[in-house]
Amino acid sequence: MTGKEQPQVPLAPGERDLVLSSLEHDQLAGQKTQPVPRRRLNGPEKFVVWSLRIYLLFMLAVVLYQVLHGTH
Amino acid sequence: MLGENDGPSMLSYAATGAQFGIGFFLPFVVVTFGMAAVVQEMTVRLGSATHRGHAELIFGRFGPFWGWFSLIDLGIGNFLTLITEFIAIRAGAGFFGIPPWAGVVCALGLLYSALLTHRYWTWERIILALAVFNLVFVPVALLTHPNWHSVGHAFLTWKPLPGGLTQNTLIILLADIGATVTPWMLFFQQSATVDKGLTTKDIRFGRIDTVLGAALAAVAAVATILATSVLFTHHMSTENYQAAQFAEALQPLIGHVGAALFALGIIEAGMVACVTISASSAYAFGEVARRPHSLNLPIGQGRAFYSVLFLCAAVAAAIVLIPGLPLVYVVLFVNVIAVLAMPPALVFLFLLVNDREIMGDLVSPAWANVLATAVVVILTGAGILFGVSVIAPHFFALLGGK
Repeated sequence: MTGKEQPQVPLAPGERDLVLSSLEHDQLAGQKTQPVPRRRLNGPEKFVVWSLRIYLLFMLAVVLYQVLHGTH
Repeated sequence: MLGENDGPSMLSYAATGAQFGIGFFLPFVVVTFGMAAVVQEMTVRLGSATHRGHAELIFGRFGPFWGWFSLIDLGIGNFLTLITEFIAIRAGAGFFGIPPWAGVVCALGLLYSALLTHRYWTWERIILALAVFNLVFVPVALLTHPNWHSVGHAFLTWKPLPGGLTQNTLIILLADIGATVTPWMLFFQQSATVDKGLTTKDIRFGRIDTVLGAALAAVAAVATILATSVLFTHHMSTENYQAAQFAEALQPLIGHVGAALFALGIIEAGMVACVTISASSAYAFGEVARRPHSLNLPIGQGRAFYSVLFLCAAVAAAIVLIPGLPLVYVVLFVNVIAVLAMPPALVFLFLLVNDREIMGDLVSPAWANVLATAVVVILTGAGILFGVSVIAPHFFALLGGK
């Protein structure tokens, strides 16, 4: 690839398969086309994630207070 | 990993050495790099196994609700950190008498020219070449003629915190942790792993790369603390110093060349991180917005990706030029915010690397989980202590501090 822009040419389905098969060996590029299956957080996981979320919001308020206090 | 030694990190290490010497902080900083290496190894494994960036994976696996939370954390954290990188560049340039606007414009120019290659491979080598310059702090430290016996003693005995646990020492502690373990590091390393095209076959090299980078970064950090510890031994008051003032204060002790190298090191650290942090934001945006996101893209094909990258850097650079901004204060508190934002980010990383459905046999071993849990507990505990020190300032006095 050079600094000069190359015109994009749409690939025919057969050509796309050819590109993927040549890349697949080294980069497994085709795997990116498969969606990641969705997963729900279970109870304990939700508890930890929400606790840390609340912790972060609270601590940001503390930092903001400290900054305002410090600048005065 | 060497890019993790960014501008505010080096300023934090400089403030650490100048205010507290080496007794407690030399071994402490090495431990923080151990923590960072554990976390980064996870991102390499995750990126190589899933071929997806961190933001894309959180969105895909846990849905947009948690995805947006993580992305907003990253966006705010990255932007604040980017501001501090330009502060470091501005401060370092100040030592050479370069006006702030000129220093900032040169940095932006370098950032943009590194992208003009449109190849990840070339971009990575330019950044690596810049990052190696971080080791310039080693000759600076040597010029201070450190007492090697004291250095060895500091590592072997790990002395307690000088002056006990106070709010000031806690801020420096948090700033030093935030100097090595940051949310942008997770997102950047995983996206870069994907952009580079690493697969599971490459994980071993990714690990070597991570550990080597951590070791070199730790050497640079230790050297910075050693370099400014001479100011501590000379009882100089350095609490409100910026990079240029550290360099100026060191000049009578290590000469003009040593001081100039110190200032150049601060500029380099800010410069490397400017490039990597703005890339981290652009990768995350591209992953979530499903726009092409790769440093291999020509500008025309990656317009959205490069626009985010350019815009983040330009706005952060402009903010730094606001007259009267309390620069040192901003730097320290941005590092503190980075520490506070890390535990929520780490929990998602922890969940993903232990997810057998996407990781297969590459899930984290028990020892890595123990270490990662310890990192979350340490970071959260340090944050809570900081909160206590603000809400109840006399609490530490009760524990024997000042």
